[in-house]
Amino acid sequence: MAAGTIWKGIIHFGETDIAVKLHSAVREERLQFHLLHEPDKVRLRQQMICAVDKQPVPAEEQLKGFELEEGKYLLIDPEELEEAASENNRVVVVHEFVKNSQIWPLYLNRAYNLEPDNLAKGYAELARSLIALDVAGICTWTMRKRSYFGALQANGGLLRLSTLRYADEVVLPESFNLEKVLLSDKELRIGSELINQLTVPFEPAKFQNEHQAKLRLMIENKSRGEKITVLPPRRLIPTESDQLLQALEASLKKAA
Amino acid sequence: MAVQGIWSGTISFSLVAIPVRLVTAVEPGRASFHLLHKKDHSRLSRKMFCPTEGIMVPPEEIIRGFEIAPSQYVLMTDEELESVSPERSRTIEILEFIDVREVDPVYFDHPYYLVPAKGGEKAYQLLVEVMSRTNKAGLAKFVLAEREYLVAVISQNDALELITLHYPEEIHDHEDLSPGIDTISSEEEARMVTTIRTMINDFKPEHYANERRKRIMDLVTQKAQNQTPVESPAPVDEAEEGPADLVAALEESMRSMKEHR
Repeated sequence: MAAGTIWKGIIHFGETDIAVKLHSAVREERLQFHLLHEPDKVRLRQQMICAVDKQPVPAEEQLKGFELEEGKYLLIDPEELEEAASENNRVVVVHEFVKNSQIWPLYLNRAYNLEPDNLAKGYAELARSLIALDVAGICTWTMRKRSYFGALQANGGLLRLSTLRYADEVVLPESFNLEKVLLSDKELRIGSELINQLTVPFEPAKFQNEHQAKLRLMIENKSRGEKITVLPPRRLIPTESDQLLQALEASLKKAA
Repeated sequence: MAVQGIWSGTISFSLVAIPVRLVTAVEPGRASFHLLHKKDHSRLSRKMFCPTEGIMVPPEEIIRGFEIAPSQYVLMTDEELESVSPERSRTIEILEFIDVREVDPVYFDHPYYLVPAKGGEKAYQLLVEVMSRTNKAGLAKFVLAEREYLVAVISQNDALELITLHYPEEIHDHEDLSPGIDTISSEEEARMVTTIRTMINDFKPEHYANERRKRIMDLVTQKAQNQTPVESPAPVDEAEEGPADLVAALEESMRSMKEHR
């Protein structure tokens, strides 16, 4: 069952204009835990606390400020900035196209499925073209007074718009300064063979959330006053660097 | 450089086990906007507050409870939660590999990095290199606090990314949305393809971040000309910042990302 329409927009680039409706692509379902205060088991609330008073501050006593320098703020509502800056129309402007492989999963944020609005001329053709060229459209648009930056991609005959994270929100691996270790040709060759042996088609439907069911059971048992056996977590012994090749060879034998 | 550690354990595939730490891959970005108290312009921050006692609650006094009836809770300690799936709370076991190109990006939820812990550097790099050469990603199940995640382990830019995936039942059906019918002529379609080709570039996300920052700074500068900035009194006890509880830390980072745009 498809989700409801969140927003309507028009994809634009060159001479192309395609009217679309946005639907969220994902719905999250999970068991909700509340955080409680240990001594009295009262449910805790997340509150905005004043650094000086140490007391919660209600919404009407809150102001938004932009930090110019440490301790100095300009009182501005960020929505004011977004409004002033944004186009405030329904156009999803495609600025450029990039190879799909360049959009790392790290940048992908929220996904929306696009449904053609009325006839939406060019929808099916655009999806085909994006797949044929293996590219995504990089776009910007304004939705509900906020500006977004995202990727327009095709999935079969369907067009999807995903918001992207900004570059300053993403940590790049260079910052970890990972040690470069020398690997032998043999280790690399056997490692690659092993991976290929363990490769299967991607079938997400076979994965069930088993933990959720076990957790529910534990909660039910506990609520009936049954004793819970606390099992220690399984910990594996790390493979020593000089044992790596051996472990790879043994694994390959096992996988074959 | 200090990295924000969320979890530590082992990642394994077949008989190879690598000690690793899980670290954040996404930060809220330049959080230049803050909430201030109208009264004295002091900074506000999100904290756990007990409404009965009227005080902020330190992490060691927080416990997780599941509501079985209004205000009736079943309490769960961290050890009990870890023991629901003990084989998966300290170990990420890659059971199979898949071709990266087969994964529909809609499955990707939240990204993290895995960095090697002491002694695991060689095995870590091996996994990074062979997954890159073969263009494969690892699939595993992983339990963090109260949730079990289906995760993909991907080799990117000489490091391992761990990305939580949505379960299939969380993905909305879309078969009914695509039209499947052609609505423009083949000449128009050819023109569309030509246009797209001329617009192909390399992906430079920093360009868009810079544009946004520039826009904000232009407007702030403009406003600053007509407005006097206010001073915020120095907050007391900076050491209290941040929750120690790992799930609260995760939830906070995700919440603050939604806030600080």
